[in-house]
Amino acid sequence: MGIYFNEVTHEYPSYTKKTYKAIQNISLKIEKENEFIALIGHTGSGKSTLAKHMNALIFPTSGSLDIFGNHITQKRDKKIKYNSIRKNVGLVFQFPEYQLFEETVEKDIMFGPLNFKVPLEEAKKKAKEALSLVGLDESYLKRNPFNLSGGEKKRVSIAGILAIDPDVLVLDEPTSGLDPAGRDTLMELFLDIHNKTKKSIIIITHDMDLVYKYFNRALVLKDGELSFDGTPDDLFRSDVLEHNHLDYPNTIKTLKYLKEELKLDIDIYKKNIDEVIKEISRVTSNE
Amino acid sequence: MNNIIIGQYIPGKGFFYKLDPRTKIVSVIFLMISVFMLETTYQLLIALGVALLLLVIGQISVLKVAKGLKPIFVLLIFTFVFQIALNQEGVIVSQAVMNFNLYSVLAIVGAFIIWRLLARLGKFKILLFIAFIFGAYFILRYINYANNFYSFNFVIYQKGIEMSLFVVIRLLIIITFTTVLTLTTRPTDLTQGIESLMRPLKKIGFNSEVFALIISISLRYIPTIFDEAQKIMAAQASRGADFREGKLKDKLKQIISLLIPMFIIAFIRSEELADAMESRNFVPGEKRTRINVLNFSVIDLYIGVFTLLCFAGTIVLKVIT
Repeated sequence: MGIYFNEVTHEYPSYTKKTYKAIQNISLKIEKENEFIALIGHTGSGKSTLAKHMNALIFPTSGSLDIFGNHITQKRDKKIKYNSIRKNVGLVFQFPEYQLFEETVEKDIMFGPLNFKVPLEEAKKKAKEALSLVGLDESYLKRNPFNLSGGEKKRVSIAGILAIDPDVLVLDEPTSGLDPAGRDTLMELFLDIHNKTKKSIIIITHDMDLVYKYFNRALVLKDGELSFDGTPDDLFRSDVLEHNHLDYPNTIKTLKYLKEELKLDIDIYKKNIDEVIKEISRVTSNE
Repeated sequence: MNNIIIGQYIPGKGFFYKLDPRTKIVSVIFLMISVFMLETTYQLLIALGVALLLLVIGQISVLKVAKGLKPIFVLLIFTFVFQIALNQEGVIVSQAVMNFNLYSVLAIVGAFIIWRLLARLGKFKILLFIAFIFGAYFILRYINYANNFYSFNFVIYQKGIEMSLFVVIRLLIIITFTTVLTLTTRPTDLTQGIESLMRPLKKIGFNSEVFALIISISLRYIPTIFDEAQKIMAAQASRGADFREGKLKDKLKQIISLLIPMFIIAFIRSEELADAMESRNFVPGEKRTRINVLNFSVIDLYIGVFTLLCFAGTIVLKVIT
């Protein structure tokens, strides 16, 4: 069980050109469990289009997908309950403005669970849990979602999907617009959910530091084609990044600079600040 | 939702693209008045021919215009059917007793199922629909047994057919004209044209600049709002509110979940736009220079003369008849 892409191509209609291919010939397997995937690519490379396929919001123009046993093709199949696919795969959009609509945060988070026929009392409980998961306290439950700050809105919109308790979670740039501390808390939260439940999580991000630090698989899109699929370790050791207008993580950049400028015998592949400091002090104490 | 063309400019080359927007607006208005002055179906058919000829001259594909007609297709069918059924003037063309009995109702249900199955194939949808309507007519007319639940006399009058064709063709022509105008004129040019045409009204206290600005912003934001609606629908579908599934009761709630974010995004967008305009020093009513100055050319003269001829022709026709 999971999300399997089979030669998926998606074309958007366009008046000026004939069509515009957002993604091309993507074949990909995402299992239900034990995957923590970063989806990387520069603007316009088809990341969001790929993500929207994962819970059947849009259909491939050619090729097919298997999402938790549902065969998705170009045409809408009456036998498939598309709504239930959204219970399997939860997709959080980049901009919270597109989904918040209720008078209180609590009601808004409950919207998802209630759509999936969760009883009212349980939905209330789930809303409370989801809200505390994203780091907001209970006083937010009765507040108006439109009076929150951008970061808070973002957290509420994520809580809205978490409350549905999907089997696989897909997030479109969840950390954009958050301060560095909030960014790390949120990433720790996703990692925590992943570790506790083994649920697969797919996150679209531009932040290479996060990719290197947290993820166990990276997908790189370039002009709609999948140009890399492997671990972040392999990604940053290969030359894929340079061909894709993507940057290296700050840890690697710093250590690489030290290695090249000071001719230090240093291992540049360190994932977080602690490891970097340890490596630098190891090398300097040897000197 | 992607087929809505009204208010969407498609870049291209051709006769109409080179015209001054003022000429186009005035011509469309006058041609529309002429079309409304025509009194018989034959005259309208000639006008339709002229409209199609203009499309050919302007190298605008009929398909593109037809795509723009799609949203009002239902309206066209309704006017057609109502005119035929309700207009009771002139000579009786056909008169038939419609019988509703067990067999005819069953046959209609059968025809309906066949129609939907064939429509599933995706081709000739409109032809199939017309075939179904005729099929239903003949079934009701000829399947006749003693025990009818209900029967009525369905009379088609000559005037009914004439008027229905008349109204539909008139709508077709008018929409073709306006679609040509919006297809070939950039919204900015359209605004500038409207503004320039209404400038004399400033003397009576009407601010044409602001009015034109309002129109152009509204036109510009139609496609944007549709895009936003699609994004909201996707976001809410992710939360289990798919607009294509679910019961009517659920749908009501889903519509609210679409409308509220729509309003909020519309307000956000308008505030952003106002800020962007102000930060570029836009002051309403202030005198501004233009990047493109409107100029009349020879082809504007041709079109002007053509419009005047059409207009004069219809007035003459009206006076003669």
